Amino acid sequence: SNDSLISLLAVHVLHADASSASEMAADAGSSPLQLPCVFSPKSRQYLALCAQDGRLRIWNTDSKTLHQEYVPSAHLSATCTCIAWGPCRTVKEGPQRKKRKSEAVQVEEKPDLLAMGTAAGTVLIYSTAKGALHCTLDGGHSGGVNCVQWHPEDSLLYSGSDDTNIIEWDLQTGKMRSKWKADRAAVTSLCVSHDGKLLLSAGQVIKMWDLDTKEVYRKFTGHSTAVTTLRFATTRPPDSNGLYFLSGAAHDRLLSVWQVRQDGKDKNSVVSFTLTDEPRHIDLVTSNSKEEAVRLSVVCKDGQLHLFEHFLNGPCKKPLSPLCSVQMSDTKDSPVPIPLLAAALGADTRNVLLAYGNHLQPVMERVEINTAERHVCLTRDVQTNLSISMETAVSKVKTPIVSTKSRVLVPGLPGHQAPVKGMSQGSEKRKKDTDTKEMSIAERLAPKGTATLQTDNFAVLLVQGLESNDANILNKVFQTRKEVVIKKTVARLPLPAVLPLVEEVSAVLFVCFLLLKCFYLQLIQLYIQQLPDLVTQLGVLYHMIESRVKMFHKLTKLHGKLYLLMTQVGIIVYRKYLQYFFLSVFFNRPDSAVLEV
Amino acid sequence: MVEHGDIRVVHRGGSKINFREPVITNDSSFLLCASGECVKVFSTSTEECIHDLRGHTDLVTGVLLKPSNHLQVYSCSADGTVRLWDFTDGILIKTYVIGYPIYSIYASPDHEGIIFIVTPMLSDKRSELFQLVAVHLPQSGDQLVEARELSAVLSDVSSNPAAITIGRGGEYFASAKGLQLEVYFFRKQKSYRFSLKEGNKKGGRNTFTCVACHPKDDCIATGHEDGKIRLWRNFNHKKEYTYTTLHWHHSAVSSLRFTPEGTNLLSGGVESVLVQWRYNQESQRDFLPRLGAAITHITISPDGALFCTSHSDNKITIIQSCVKVSAVIQGLVKGESVRTDLMVDPRSKAMVLNGKPGHLQFYSLQRDKLLYNLDIVQQEYIHESGLQQFEVVKAAFDASGNWLATVEERKQKAAELELNLKLWEFDEQTQSFVLNTTISAPHEAQITAMCFCHAADSQTTMLVSTSKDGHFKAWQLATPARTEDEGPSWSCDFVGAYHGLVPKCCCFSADGSLLAVSFQEVVTVWSPSSWELLTTLSQPPGAIRDLCFGRLSCSKYLLGTTASNLLCCWNLLTCSLEWSTSMDTSLLLADPFSENMAAFCCQAGCTDLFVFKPSEPRPLFSHKAVCSGKVTRAVFAPREDMLESCEESSQWLNCSQLYFLTQYMDLMTFITKAEEDRLMASSKQLVIDDSVAMTPFYLLLGKHRQQQQENQDTLSTLSAERTPLPQGSVAIKELLQTPAHVLPSTSFLCSMFVQSLLISVTDSREESKHAEEEMESEKEEEDSEGEMESSTSRPREASLAGHATETAALALTKAQARELRRVKKLDHSWLSGLLDS
Repeated sequence: SNDSLISLLAVHVLHADASSASEMAADAGSSPLQLPCVFSPKSRQYLALCAQDGRLRIWNTDSKTLHQEYVPSAHLSATCTCIAWGPCRTVKEGPQRKKRKSEAVQVEEKPDLLAMGTAAGTVLIYSTAKGALHCTLDGGHSGGVNCVQWHPEDSLLYSGSDDTNIIEWDLQTGKMRSKWKADRAAVTSLCVSHDGKLLLSAGQVIKMWDLDTKEVYRKFTGHSTAVTTLRFATTRPPDSNGLYFLSGAAHDRLLSVWQVRQDGKDKNSVVSFTLTDEPRHIDLVTSNSKEEAVRLSVVCKDGQLHLFEHFLNGPCKKPLSPLCSVQMSDTKDSPVPIPLLAAALGADTRNVLLAYGNHLQPVMERVEINTAERHVCLTRDVQTNLSISMETAVSKVKTPIVSTKSRVLVPGLPGHQAPVKGMSQGSEKRKKDTDTKEMSIAERLAPKGTATLQTDNFAVLLVQGLESNDANILNKVFQTRKEVVIKKTVARLPLPAVLPLVEEVSAVLFVCFLLLKCFYLQLIQLYIQQLPDLVTQLGVLYHMIESRVKMFHKLTKLHGKLYLLMTQVGIIVYRKYLQYFFLSVFFNRPDSAVLEV
Repeated sequence: MVEHGDIRVVHRGGSKINFREPVITNDSSFLLCASGECVKVFSTSTEECIHDLRGHTDLVTGVLLKPSNHLQVYSCSADGTVRLWDFTDGILIKTYVIGYPIYSIYASPDHEGIIFIVTPMLSDKRSELFQLVAVHLPQSGDQLVEARELSAVLSDVSSNPAAITIGRGGEYFASAKGLQLEVYFFRKQKSYRFSLKEGNKKGGRNTFTCVACHPKDDCIATGHEDGKIRLWRNFNHKKEYTYTTLHWHHSAVSSLRFTPEGTNLLSGGVESVLVQWRYNQESQRDFLPRLGAAITHITISPDGALFCTSHSDNKITIIQSCVKVSAVIQGLVKGESVRTDLMVDPRSKAMVLNGKPGHLQFYSLQRDKLLYNLDIVQQEYIHESGLQQFEVVKAAFDASGNWLATVEERKQKAAELELNLKLWEFDEQTQSFVLNTTISAPHEAQITAMCFCHAADSQTTMLVSTSKDGHFKAWQLATPARTEDEGPSWSCDFVGAYHGLVPKCCCFSADGSLLAVSFQEVVTVWSPSSWELLTTLSQPPGAIRDLCFGRLSCSKYLLGTTASNLLCCWNLLTCSLEWSTSMDTSLLLADPFSENMAAFCCQAGCTDLFVFKPSEPRPLFSHKAVCSGKVTRAVFAPREDMLESCEESSQWLNCSQLYFLTQYMDLMTFITKAEEDRLMASSKQLVIDDSVAMTPFYLLLGKHRQQQQENQDTLSTLSAERTPLPQGSVAIKELLQTPAHVLPSTSFLCSMFVQSLLISVTDSREESKHAEEEMESEKEEEDSEGEMESSTSRPREASLAGHATETAALALTKAQARELRRVKKLDHSWLSGLLDS
C-alpha cells in the first residue's frame, strides 16, 4: 500500500510541478515566497514560524500547541524575511549562591532570543521568555534584510541585505559594530563557522570572510541563481583540508558541497546531493572527524523530505541520491500530499522531528523513520490533529478519541471471561459450583405465565425464525414458559439448526433460564459427540449465565429502587421511560426488549 | 559501603506553586509565587519561569511587594528570615533575621519601614498559638541585618494568611479566627471583637475562613465555612455594628479580594467558579465558571487589569478583566496521592502519572513543565467536597507506546465498587490515543497491579491484571470472529488463581516468556504461551511486596521484596534462592535499559538508595538518606544523549536517569558531577542591551531626536562651540545604568551629579585645543616670568583682571585661574559692536 500511495502522490507532485512552473512564468524574476520556519537549537523545544499574515508564531513541539504569537509593528509592510534563534540562555545565577544538598542545578537551557530580519531593513530581537520585543536594530540597512546569523559565542549578530552590505551588530550596546560591502549583488545568505572565526556570504559569488580582519579569505563560484542556503558541514579548521560547507540555490535541484583546500584550488564543488525541488529547510549534523558521517535532512519546496548520510572525504563525481525520501499524505480515498515544512534530526539517525501542514497551523511530530526503505510515505489526518492542538492551547487538557467503533465488554459477553476450552480442570470445577446456583435461580423463576400459542411445539417456527433471523418470531418462541412445549420443540429440532440456535440464544439478551436448562439436559445428551465445538459455544452461554447470576442480586436491588421511584413519580410516561431505561442499560439491546416488568 | 561524593541528589521540580498567594507586579508583566524554598518569577504573558529567587533555607511562606518600591519584593520563610529581592534581575538585596519561623507577611504604604509578620507565640514555641508582630526594619547598609524591634500587635491569630488583612489607609487590622472577628485600631490602640454563633438552625457553619478589607471604604468582607459572605460595617462600635450577608457559594469561601478601586468584590471556593460581586449592588454578580479546580487564592494586579487565581491542582490561572483566561501556569498536578505508578511514555518521553481527577498527566522531565492532561474518564467532574467520583488508579504503557491501559475506579459507600479497564491505542494518523476496548467490571474487586508484556518481538500483545478477588486475568488483542469490519480488540485469554490467595503484583520477564504473579507469600511462575504453572517460589514469612525480573545478562534472576524486610533473589534455572538480604525495601525498580536494579530502603525515617546488579554481591552505588520519609514512587527515564562515564559508581546513570517522588511530592533526581560541570561550562550568559525597545512613542520621538542630532552634528562642524546633552556624560550614564541597590547614598550622588553637569560644558576636541592654548599661554607666562624675574605672577594677574577681582584673586585656584584666562582670550568683538550701536 506504501508503494501505491507513493505512486498516487507522484501524480500529484507532477500536477503541482506543472502549476508551479506556470506560476514561475507568471511572476518571473521575483523571489519566490519563502516563509521562515526554524526549530530552536539543542532540544528543539520550539518552532518559530512566520506565516503569510506576517505574524510570528512560536509552537511548542512537546505539547504541539501554540506557545505564543507576536505581531510586529508594521508587520504587513515590513514583513519578516528571516529568523534565527540565538544561543540557548541559561538562567542566571545569583551572586551569593552556596551549593547545598538537594538544591536544583541550573541545568535548564532555554532557547530565548530570536532575531528577525525584515523587508524594511531592520532586525528585531524578540524574547520568547518574556513574550515581548527585546530590542530593535535599525539604521543599518537601506534594503531588506535577507539573512541573520548569530555568532556562536559572543553576543554578535550578522545580517546580510539587499543593499549588498553585511553588518556586524554588537548586541551588548545594540549598535552597529562594523559594516562592509560584501558583493556587487544582494547578500542572500550568511553562515558563521562553528568556531566563530569565519563567515560565509553569498551574493553573486560565495565569499568566505575572516571575521577578525573582515577580509575575503576565499571565493567560490558556481551557482547561477540566488543562493538560499549556506551551511558548514564540518567543524575542522580551514587549514586542514577538512573544512567543508554546502550551498543550495533557488530553482536548483542540487545541494553543492565545497571543500576549503589548503592550496586554494577549490574552484568547483566536490560533492552534490540531488533533490526533487529547491531546498527550503535544511538541518545538518556536522562531522567532527573523517570517520564521522555528515547527516543531512532537506525539506524541498515540493514538501518532500530527503535524508542523506555521507562521509566527506575529497571529491565525489556522481551526484548523491538520498538515503531515504519521506512524503506525507492525508487519509482521504484519493490521497493528497501534505507538505512538510521543516525537519530536524535527532540524536539517533532514525528519529526526526517533523513539522507539516500549513504555515498557519503546523503539526509537529517526532517520527522514527525506517531508513532501510528508500521511500517512506506517512499518512496523517491533519484535520483532527489541528482540532486537538487548538483546543489544548489554554485548557491543557487533551481528549483522546472515543469513537463508536470501540468495543465494550460487559460481564457476560464473550471475551470478558477466558473462553472455555475442552475439559480443563479449572473450568470444570467452576462449572460445578455455579450449577447449583443455576438450579436455585431456575427454581426461583418458576414458570407462571400462560402460553400464548396453542400448538404443542414451535420447532417449525423456531427454524423459520432462525433462518429468517426475525426477532419477532424468535421472541415469541423464547417467551414460552411451558416446559412440555419446550421439551417437544427441542426434541424435534433438526440437527443443523442447533448451532444457530445456540448462537442466537447467547446473543439474545434476556435469558430464559428454564429454556436453557432444557438445552443442557437434552442437547448435551444428544449431540455432544457429533459437535465438538458445541462446548465452546455453550461456554459462552455458561459465562453469560454466570454473570447474570452474579448480577441478579444487583438487578433486583435496582428494580426495587426503580419501583420506589416509579411509585413516587406516578406518571405513566415516566414509567415507560424508566422501563426502557432499565432494559437498555442492563440488557444492551433495546430492540429485543419486549419483556414486561 | 562508601558513599560516592560525585553524585548528588537534586531537586528537579514539581514543587507547589499554589501554596501561598502569588503577587502580580505593578506593570502586570511578572507574577511572583512562593514555591518550595524559592520564589519563582513567571511572565504573565508567556507562562515561562523567568528566574528563581533562591536563598531561603526552608519553605517560603509569603511574598509581598515592597510598598515604597514597586521593583522590590519581600519574601518570608519558615527559616526565620525576611529577604528583600530585586525581582527584575533576581538579586538578593537584604536579609532581615527575625529568628522565629514566619507564617505570613503583611505591609502597608502607610506604615513605612514596618512589616507585620505572623509567628508562633514567643513564650511557648510548642503551642499552636500564633501572634501578629510588627517588625521595624532597621535602616542599615549591611546585607545581613538582625531585626530586633519586635512589638506584638495581636495575639491569638490564625496561621492562615487569608484570615488577616490591613484595613483602609493602614488604620486597622482585621483578623478572624474560629468564630471571632477582631478589629484592631492603631490610633486608638484598641480592638473590637465580634463573635458569631456556632451555627444556625439550618445547620450553617459560621466559622470564618477569610477576610478582606475595602480599600476606600470602612467595610470588612468575611468568608465563612458554609459559603456565606458577610460585609461588616460600623465596626468601630462595640454594639452598633451591622453586617449584610451574601450567599452564593455552597461550600466554604476560600478567598476574598476587593479590586483596587473597591468597585468589585471577588470570591472563590471549591466550586471553581470566580464570582464577582458589585460593591453596594450585591445582587449583580458575574461569574467565570469552569476554572478546573477549587480556587485557593485570588490575586488582583495593582492596576486591576489582571486577576489570577491559584487552584488546588497546583495551577495558577491568569484572567484578563474577569472574562478571559489568558494564561495557565501549571505545575505538576498533585492530588491527595499518586495512585498510579510513575511511568515514562515511550513516545514523548514524558513522565506519566495521574493528574487532575479522571486524567493522566504528561509531564516533561527535561523542562519541568506539564505538557497536557489526558482525559481518561471523560465525565463531567462535579466540584463538590465529599463526592465519590471516578478516578484513574492504574495505568500502563506497552514497550513501544502503542497501547495504554488505564483502570478507573469509583467506590461508593462500602460495598459497591465500579471498575473500568480501558485500552487505548495510539493512532499515528490522528496522533492521538483512540479508545479500543472498554471492559467494565474486569474484576470483582480492586485491581492491585497491571503490566504489559514487554517483549519486543512477540506476536501478540498481552496485558495481565491482578485483583483482590483472588484471580489474575490475561487480556489479549485478538480479531473478533464474528464481524469483519471491526478491527482487533481485547478479550480475556486466561483467568488464573492459586489456592484462593490474593495476588499482589505481577511482572513479565524481558522476553515475555515468563510471568511471575505473587500470591501473598508465594511467587507463581507461569508460561504465558500455554498458561501452565511452571513453578512456585516462596520465602516465608511475609507477603511479597514487589517483583522484578532481571534483564540482559541477569535475566535468569527473579527478585522480590517481602513484608518481613527481605530482599530475595531467586535463580530461575535452579528454582532456588540465590541470595537474600535483610532490608526494609519500600520500592524495587528495574532499569529497563540496563541490568541494574534500584532499591529504596526505609531506615530510621530516611530513605537510602542501593543500585545493584542481581548477579553481583556488591552494590554499584549506594546513597544514604536521599530524602526523609518513605519513597514509594520512582521511575527510570531514558536520557536524550548518553553519558560516557567510565567510573563504576556513576555508570548506572549513563543511559537512564532515576527520578523519585518524596513524601512531600517533590520530584528529585540524581546528577553526576561530570554532567553538572558540562552543563555549567556550556552555560554562558548572553548580555544583550534591551534599552532600545522600539515603541510607537520611540518611532515618533526617536526619529525627531535623530534628526536633531544630525542637525547638531552639522552645526557643530560649522561652529566650534557645541554643548553636549547632559545625558551624554559618563557619570550620568553610570548613575542611570547601575542597579539601584549597588549605588552609594543619595547625598554622595547628588554632588557628583551636579559636578557632572558643571564639567560637561566642553567636548573633548575643544578641551584638547584649550589644553594646547593653555600650554602656550603657560609658556608665555614662563617666558614673561623669565623676563621679569623680580616680580611674582600673582600681582601681575591681579593687575590684568582689574580691581574688582583683586581680593578674590587671592583665593583663586589654578583651575579657576585657567578658566579666567580662557575668558580673557575670548573674542569680545561682539561687545564692541554692541557698544557702537
